[in-house]
Amino acid sequence: MPSRGPCSRGRARGRSVAARRKGGDRRRTKAYREFVSEAEEILDRMRGELADLADGRGRGAEPDPELVNRMFRSAHSLKGLSGMFGIDGISELSHHLEDVLDRLRLGRARLDETAIALLEEAVALIGLALERLEDGEATGISDSAAGLIARIDAWTAAPTAAEAGADLDLDPLILRALTEYEEHRLRENLRRGRRIHVVEASFDILTFEEGLAELTSAVREVGEVLSTLPSPGESPESQIRFSLLAATDLDADVLARRLDLRPEAVRSATRGSAEPAPRAPEPASAPAHDEPAYDAPREPADADASDGTLELGSLKSISETVRVDIRKLDELMNLVGELVIQRSALAKLAGSLRRDAGTARAGAELEKVLKGLERKLQELQAGVLEVRMVPLRQVFEKLSRVVRRLRRDTDKEVRLDIRGADTELDKLIVEELVDPLMHVVRNAFDHAIEPPDERVAAGKPREGCIRLEAFQRGNDVVIAATDDGRGIDVDTVRRRAIERGMVAENEELSRKELLELVFAPGLSTRSEVTETSGRGVGMDVVRANITALGGIVDIDSTPGRGTSVTMTLPITLAIIQALIVGACDQRFAIPLNSVRETLLLDPSDVQRSDGRELLNLRGEALPLRRLASEFQLGPVERGQKQYAVVLGIGDARLGLLVDRLEGQQDVVIKPIQGPIRSVRGIAGATELGDSGAVLVLDVSALVDDARGREGQGGAPRRMA
Amino acid sequence: MSGSAQRPATFDALARAAAAREGVEEGAVRREFVSFVLDGDPYALPIERVREIVRLRPITPVPRVPAAIRGVISLRGEVVEVLDLRRRLGLPEREPTRASRIVVLHGEDGTVTGLLVDAVRDVLRITEDRIRPASGGEHDGVAALLARGDQFVSLLDVERVLDLAD
Repeated sequence: MPSRGPCSRGRARGRSVAARRKGGDRRRTKAYREFVSEAEEILDRMRGELADLADGRGRGAEPDPELVNRMFRSAHSLKGLSGMFGIDGISELSHHLEDVLDRLRLGRARLDETAIALLEEAVALIGLALERLEDGEATGISDSAAGLIARIDAWTAAPTAAEAGADLDLDPLILRALTEYEEHRLRENLRRGRRIHVVEASFDILTFEEGLAELTSAVREVGEVLSTLPSPGESPESQIRFSLLAATDLDADVLARRLDLRPEAVRSATRGSAEPAPRAPEPASAPAHDEPAYDAPREPADADASDGTLELGSLKSISETVRVDIRKLDELMNLVGELVIQRSALAKLAGSLRRDAGTARAGAELEKVLKGLERKLQELQAGVLEVRMVPLRQVFEKLSRVVRRLRRDTDKEVRLDIRGADTELDKLIVEELVDPLMHVVRNAFDHAIEPPDERVAAGKPREGCIRLEAFQRGNDVVIAATDDGRGIDVDTVRRRAIERGMVAENEELSRKELLELVFAPGLSTRSEVTETSGRGVGMDVVRANITALGGIVDIDSTPGRGTSVTMTLPITLAIIQALIVGACDQRFAIPLNSVRETLLLDPSDVQRSDGRELLNLRGEALPLRRLASEFQLGPVERGQKQYAVVLGIGDARLGLLVDRLEGQQDVVIKPIQGPIRSVRGIAGATELGDSGAVLVLDVSALVDDARGREGQGGAPRRMA
Repeated sequence: MSGSAQRPATFDALARAAAAREGVEEGAVRREFVSFVLDGDPYALPIERVREIVRLRPITPVPRVPAAIRGVISLRGEVVEVLDLRRRLGLPEREPTRASRIVVLHGEDGTVTGLLVDAVRDVLRITEDRIRPASGGEHDGVAALLARGDQFVSLLDVERVLDLAD
């Protein structure tokens, strides 16, 4: 199976940017986007279903018919969707995937190794075709797809194992009315030695749905309802009769008692049972013309009929959810932001009205109204934000599938322990998290967890464990991946760093600082390249990705005990809490999650060393930067009151001197549009009241720059 | 307009189609430009590239960018860079006045940029035969000259003006 290397993320990003910039026919791109996102969703679902099927088989369990059905429906939907968009490659593949699943679900083939292999290959090829489509490549049938299609055709053409041969005392009309799937379930139950009964019941025409539902669930307690058919037997006006075909281990009379029915209402259809068969529905009572006697609401014997009803069920649930382009939510968010600004303009007006004796009353009234407006605005803002939130479950499930696959492909025994999958994050963040998390988990699987024998020798359980845990902490979400593997050997890290000239031979580094080096580009602690975690590209990419999301990555490791990678992310990209600071005549916003503390500067705490200013923070020396000179905002006035904002990214700290602290505020970060776009040290901008745009600082860039200059060689230097 | 299947894709094509219907000769196709003033001289931009024209509003300076970028403005939730066209074209500096305007352009890639100009004049409609090649004039940002009566208006080359790499 092809494995996507860690570099795939870069490609994915490049692609999405290219797609965004592509002009062309808007409607086509939009429709296309929707197709791709829906197809990806279905594909993901199928991957999960397939993994569950393979797992079940691995445990030797009978395949869950509902699971096979679900996957059949997924393939069916994908076929329809891709057909509608004229994507032949995917449409053909899903059609054949559907064929395989159809045979499985109708019991015409067993879910053996060949079947699993065909399913896996088909799903993988569909995934590939979808990727190629996103890259703007052909929509046709690839060679490998054509090969698979031929093999599936050969497989489905093989003679079926079980032929109908219903050995039952059943009205042929009932038999004929069964769908193929129902027939299969009938056979399956017979094979298991269950008894088949026909349960007759009549209900008041006005309330029959409830009565029927009650009866059905009562039967389900002791068996399976194979089919429900309206019965043509004599029944009084305003009554409607049904025949339920039930499979159970109970005898007919026992079943009748359980269902609270007269004994003659339950008739056994299993041959050789001692019971008489009273009141068999008379074919003669059927209408004279050629219509089928059982005027079923569905088309009898049509293979798709059972899907029809099932899909009706799922359609209903779909109608309660709406697929929304996240950009539309961004627009809504913008509108809310504008409303907030309009409101503050109104508040200003109200204030000046109130100060004037003549209009003080009206001003006060207006302010009261504004209070109400503000509350509603906050609710609106929270509501829009909530819509963007999705649980991490999907990402976690993806990871657990990867681990399952790795476990199958290698001889390692690793279990993924997932906690807090319901933790919610902004959808955009969740999407960007997939690759970094994948990388961390693969790393743990590949490098951290030892082979079983080595683990046993070290006195650890044979099976390794990677714990993936998510929880909310204030306005952040923390995701931690902890393994119980061999841990990071800091001496190796140190040796490599020296080899690569990142650290001087005699440089003294703390354990924490050495661990930090793991995030440096090009430093991999393993020399061999493995298929699962790729080559070279490593934790530096993980850190870059998480930082781009406004998050923080930390690593901790104990040799022999394991490693823990912790990512702290803002819940949403749309709104962050910011500290507003002033320097010269300008204001800036600093994301609050990277502000450790603020303090009024005591000038004696500023010391100089090696031509650089340092801040003495309770005995610890931090690199110090003045915002005004960093951004050349104007001359630095000496003797003026100044504040130090202590910024932290991971373990790195920076003291930033500003002229004013202006408070905290929720801000919406916007990208800067125009010819320049990306400025080192600036993450974007936001609107603050009526004073126009305020720049948002990119703390990690500022901290990195300060550290880079500090250490010259790029490595952090011990400064205590 | 006739069937949407053959709807012309660009303003150019639209103008040509209109001209063809009215029996106007090729070369007499009308085109529209937004004309504005910089340092007393007339300039123009193709109207298709102009999204809107807004009054001066607070411009937030951005550090670490070329001097031609005056800063960013907030435009209904978008944050847009403002290019000082005087600085960009090497004209004498002058602080904005009440007449100053920001011409907001559509970029090729869907982003927008603001251009700070001294004043916006009007929409210039001239036929194509009155577009003259640039005379290798003072500024390399000029794509052509538009003859308006006996006056020449400098038509700016948008891509070159926005390309700050040089």
